[in-house]
Amino acid sequence: MPSFMPLLSAKGMVIAWLLLPFLAAFLAAVLPPLARWLALLCCLATAAVAVAIQLGSLPVNVDLLGAYGVALKTDAFAVPFLLLNALVCSAVVIDSWERPLPGPFLLLLMVLHGGLSSAFVVMDLVSLYVTLEVVGISAFLLILISRSDRSLWVALRYLLIGNTVMTLFLIGAALVYLERGSFRFEAVAGTTSIAALALLLVGLLMKSGLFLSGLWLPVTHAEAPAEVSALLSGVVVTAGIAPLLRLSCGVPALGPVITGIGLASAVLGLVFALADADAKRLLAWSTLSQMGLVALSPVAGGFYALSHGTAKAVLFLVARRFPGRALQGWRERPLPAGVWWPLCIGSLSIVGLPPLAGFAAKTDLSGALSLPLEVAVTLVSMGTVAVYARFWGAPLLHRTAPVVGLSSGGEAPEPAWSLGVILLVLALVVMGSATLPSTASPFSAVAKSAMVLLGGWGLHTLVEGLRLPERLRLPDLEGLSDLLGGIGVVGAGLLLILNR
Amino acid sequence: MAPFRLLELLILGAVLAGFAGLLLRRNLFLKVMSMDVIGSAVVALFVLVGARSGLRSPILSAAGPGPAGTGTAVASATDAAAATAWADPIPQAVILTAIVIGLSIQALLLVVITRLSRIDPGLDLASFDTGGQR
Repeated sequence: MPSFMPLLSAKGMVIAWLLLPFLAAFLAAVLPPLARWLALLCCLATAAVAVAIQLGSLPVNVDLLGAYGVALKTDAFAVPFLLLNALVCSAVVIDSWERPLPGPFLLLLMVLHGGLSSAFVVMDLVSLYVTLEVVGISAFLLILISRSDRSLWVALRYLLIGNTVMTLFLIGAALVYLERGSFRFEAVAGTTSIAALALLLVGLLMKSGLFLSGLWLPVTHAEAPAEVSALLSGVVVTAGIAPLLRLSCGVPALGPVITGIGLASAVLGLVFALADADAKRLLAWSTLSQMGLVALSPVAGGFYALSHGTAKAVLFLVARRFPGRALQGWRERPLPAGVWWPLCIGSLSIVGLPPLAGFAAKTDLSGALSLPLEVAVTLVSMGTVAVYARFWGAPLLHRTAPVVGLSSGGEAPEPAWSLGVILLVLALVVMGSATLPSTASPFSAVAKSAMVLLGGWGLHTLVEGLRLPERLRLPDLEGLSDLLGGIGVVGAGLLLILNR
Repeated sequence: MAPFRLLELLILGAVLAGFAGLLLRRNLFLKVMSMDVIGSAVVALFVLVGARSGLRSPILSAAGPGPAGTGTAVASATDAAAATAWADPIPQAVILTAIVIGLSIQALLLVVITRLSRIDPGLDLASFDTGGQR
């Protein structure tokens, strides 16, 4: 058989690529000086695999060990997620190249990278459970890396809730197996058990930070160190949303439910982001809102997640060097050029200014939706402009001398520009301009984007006017009891909605 | 099928009890223990799912044909009856991984709780949980 050998080797390559981060992490523990290079190598391998899938040189289906074995799907759907994983992880490694890193940071980053790559390509519930738990545990340890008392609590909360919902996810998997005799995603499509679907969704919704299940996200993402926040907000949330979108493609009953939850999440995140007074928490609330938009369309969601994750990683990486986290009086505090420009470009990409990647993503998303949803997304986009407008308008610090950041107290001054941030900003510009010509009607899309910007600016001035006596006080829903209750409410609600 | 339903209900009861404990207990240690109750119930569920077709361990031995052996069908009637009562190995194999993951998460959480007990030895939720405030 002539075609047998290349297929075999391609399969071997996929396995080697998935194993590489874990082997590299082990090697990095033995040989710490190599850790940075090994981490970069893992990211490069993932990027190479993404390109190979796009070019069609890898088999779409990789079945390991027959009918009951693990099924992987290296298809076009996984490409944006894999690229995002490679981009954000490599940017974090490059950004921290000159700084001494706390002990196992790079090792954990490699494990996280490997877990994420696997989560994007697995096609059965049990493998998905294992990869999500690997991602969860390594994210937990990464949050703990700063070793403050506050991070202890935040990390504990994250893992406690994460493990609880993943246990519920396992019950869903068992119910699917009981009925269909298989753990594959195709078996989920054939299941008639409403409880199984609801339990699986509870797990995935929490991991992707959507709606009430995602209320853990702002505190966690805001309290983690900047590099870890970039990883969490950039890629870790997509580990939940990619399988969620895959399932919503295969299971018709889930489509409208996920759309509804996505829209609710977009609005919820937006309202809280508008009301929050802390820069990092604003970014985290905006992640919750943007993930809601990703969940709206399985077709356009991948590229949207890629553009949002890249931009959000830029914002969190420069958040390390903000002069302070309070948004009160933001316009009076000058920012150095190495913060000002990435902050502008990153936020402008998220609000969808051409020719950045966010513009193409938003145009794609609108094209994939029905008219009422498209209108809703446009309104949410205006709100997003109002959220990010609070970052604009800070004066540029006209000083070439390197500025000492917040966290690096009395140590050597940092370079004014971080190479990792530059890489991400370049990716935003290149992806945006490369996809610009393929837009169906560029003129109307640009006009719409300008309209959204203007409307958003108007909303921003309106909200700023309202803000004076702290009138926008929203309920605090982020206590542990609220989060656990939220899981219960979402689960019960899903049961009711799916039962109709 | 009645015993299967009964055991299923017991497991559901254990999951609900664990979730209630997670929600209502004020002590962090007891919260983690409640999470473990849910975990144990899930393990029991997988064992139950594996045992729905029979209880005999599907181990391929040199002496007799295993579950995959084709010789069983032509053997005596008692053997044929026994051959249908093999336990399903797939859920059991799967839950082994979940047990290991559950154990390691339990260990990690307990380490963090040990560290947190320096702040409040009573481990009361209210001393740590500040909601959205910093």
